Amino acid sequence: MDELLEQFLLEGRDLVAQASDDFAALRRRPDDAGAVDSAFRAMHTLKGSVAIFAMMPAERALHAAETLLETARTRGGAIGIEALDGLVACLDQVDRWIDDMEAFGALPQDAAPIADRLVSRLAGHTPGPETADAAAMSDGAIWADLIAERHPSIVAAADTVLTAFRYSPSADCFFQGEDPLAIAMAVPELLSLDVLPAGGEWPARGDIEPFACISVLEGISAAGPDKVRSSFRLVPDRVEVTTIGAGDAAARSSTGTRDSKGGDILRVPSARIDAMADGLGELIVAVNAVAGLTRDAARIDRSLAASVQAVQAKLEQVTGRLHGELSAVRAVTLENMVRRLPRLVREIADGLGKKVSFNVQGDELEVDKQIADGLFEPLLHLLRNAIDHGAEPSDSRTAAGKTADCTITLRFLRSGDSIEVVLSDDGAGIDPRRIREAAVDRALLPRADVDVLSDAEALRLIFSPGFSTAHTVTSVSGRGVGMDAVKAAIERLRGTLAVESAVGEGTTFRIRLQAGALTTPLLLVHVGAERYGVALDQIVETARLGEGALQAVGGGRACVLRGRTVPVVSLGALLNTGEPDDPLARVLITQAGGDRVAVRVDRFGERFNAFVRPPVGMLAAVPGVTGSALMGDGSVLLVLDLPELLA
Amino acid sequence: MTVRRDGDVLCLEGRCGAEDAETLLVALQEDPRLVVDASALLRLHLAVAQVLLACKPQIRAAPPDILLATTIFAGWSDM
Repeated sequence: MDELLEQFLLEGRDLVAQASDDFAALRRRPDDAGAVDSAFRAMHTLKGSVAIFAMMPAERALHAAETLLETARTRGGAIGIEALDGLVACLDQVDRWIDDMEAFGALPQDAAPIADRLVSRLAGHTPGPETADAAAMSDGAIWADLIAERHPSIVAAADTVLTAFRYSPSADCFFQGEDPLAIAMAVPELLSLDVLPAGGEWPARGDIEPFACISVLEGISAAGPDKVRSSFRLVPDRVEVTTIGAGDAAARSSTGTRDSKGGDILRVPSARIDAMADGLGELIVAVNAVAGLTRDAARIDRSLAASVQAVQAKLEQVTGRLHGELSAVRAVTLENMVRRLPRLVREIADGLGKKVSFNVQGDELEVDKQIADGLFEPLLHLLRNAIDHGAEPSDSRTAAGKTADCTITLRFLRSGDSIEVVLSDDGAGIDPRRIREAAVDRALLPRADVDVLSDAEALRLIFSPGFSTAHTVTSVSGRGVGMDAVKAAIERLRGTLAVESAVGEGTTFRIRLQAGALTTPLLLVHVGAERYGVALDQIVETARLGEGALQAVGGGRACVLRGRTVPVVSLGALLNTGEPDDPLARVLITQAGGDRVAVRVDRFGERFNAFVRPPVGMLAAVPGVTGSALMGDGSVLLVLDLPELLA
Repeated sequence: MTVRRDGDVLCLEGRCGAEDAETLLVALQEDPRLVVDASALLRLHLAVAQVLLACKPQIRAAPPDILLATTIFAGWSDM
């Protein structure tokens, strides 16, 4: 991808998230001047960023939003709820357009009319110049920043402090014989002068009132503030003067546009970190190979072996430390993943005509990037489900004595090495009786089996493949993915998923995950001439079965383990590499679709930790493969996903 | 006469005062394709300047005054 675009995607989404936070703050406190300022800066910078690309409609929409915020900022006072809705709609749309730029490199065809609608919606809430004229004078920092931004070369060339001024003539000044332009042009040592629309935007040709002053004049002078101020001695209450210097302006604009967390932050594409992790994985493998060398050396020369061993110990120590550092680098806060959710929640809720209030807590927690990336889809699906099936219509909620808006809360908690993700709603809850009925209707389980299930067990049926209790398939939930897909996605992250629900009170999903998952403990298994890796957490136990322990049952085989009959499946047969003929059977027991299955292999190999890389290219299309790991001898080991292989 | 029409061209000449704003605006409203020539413009009242900035007519020639040329007549295009 084009590097510039890549940078824009990162920064653009940061700015969207910033503005989104500010809008959320404004919803709580509509007169929060700090939030207005911050949102204004974010929208302004975003407008500058989109201007680099063919995103004219986005630029127009952002300009309208910026104008509204600028007016609110200079006038003071609260931002109305409808204006805020307009701003959020604008931001959401820009966020979607950023997604479009990533996916297609261009905006969709309908972008221009959408921008038109946003602009007119926002303009409807932007006071005209007449009211803006009565404005209180604004805070110096921002307008001075903007002047400096418009004239970077002047600011950069200055070796002394410069004076910036902003002159806002009254609307009726022309009738008093004033010529503000003449006044401003008489400022000594004037370096720049801009005539800008007081309302943020010049009116349309047909709406211009030729005798009203609709301009503000902003300029930079090399003269001192007092000299500049004296030029405006006849209109002292109409002018603001402040100083800007080269360093000062740079510092100011940097706080406005760079990462607000400050410090020496380096932005690195995550692919590079992944490449480093791969490199480190290879290094660890190579270091492990030195162990073999030590044994060989011992046969030849004991003192040589001792030296090699010392080197090996040192290497292990250093790679261990590197591993720790890299894990820390790969750790990302959940914020980046979470920040995309509020917009999607709004879209889903709007699409379904539901009223939802969505809160997130604890998203500052750090997890391995793989976890953060892998959580997005399942969380989105759970949210979609909560809004579609959980949230009741507002009137039935109020009738039931609840708030009109359904509250959905997403919480992230850390406990030791694992994190817990809790998604709860105060919606309708899941009725276990309905789940039982649906399970029987869909022939998932016979009536007798269903009736003995506890309520908690019945609830878990929603994770069964093909289960859906929705009476109507909506465009939102009915996308051909059920809760089983959510469960599978969580299991791919080596996590667990649980559900609790109370009818009329709401539903809670709990996801438990390892916070760091850089390496995976694997067991090497041999089948014929091949060897494969299996993640230890997919293995319940391993067993050796004596001669005759394998029994033919129906078309297949089974064995008895701890008093229970377990079907036996040969890995060789699954992978088409042939059946072992050893009468002694080695099996590993795994859990597939809730049942235990014994998988027969020829031989067990060593246990080791490896970087499992997600499958790419052709490998990605092979079912039952989690990824690949690099071995000490340079060969590539396929890591199997047993439940998927057995499905 | 400080706002003078010459075919498809509007010439701003000498000192354009506040009273010229309406003349300029009406001319530009009636024929948005008019091109503005400011080569003989010496001074410009803000009332006239803001009509130019808001209507964004095509400018054929900037005024000789360097400050005027760089503020109003350079700045308007990137508004």
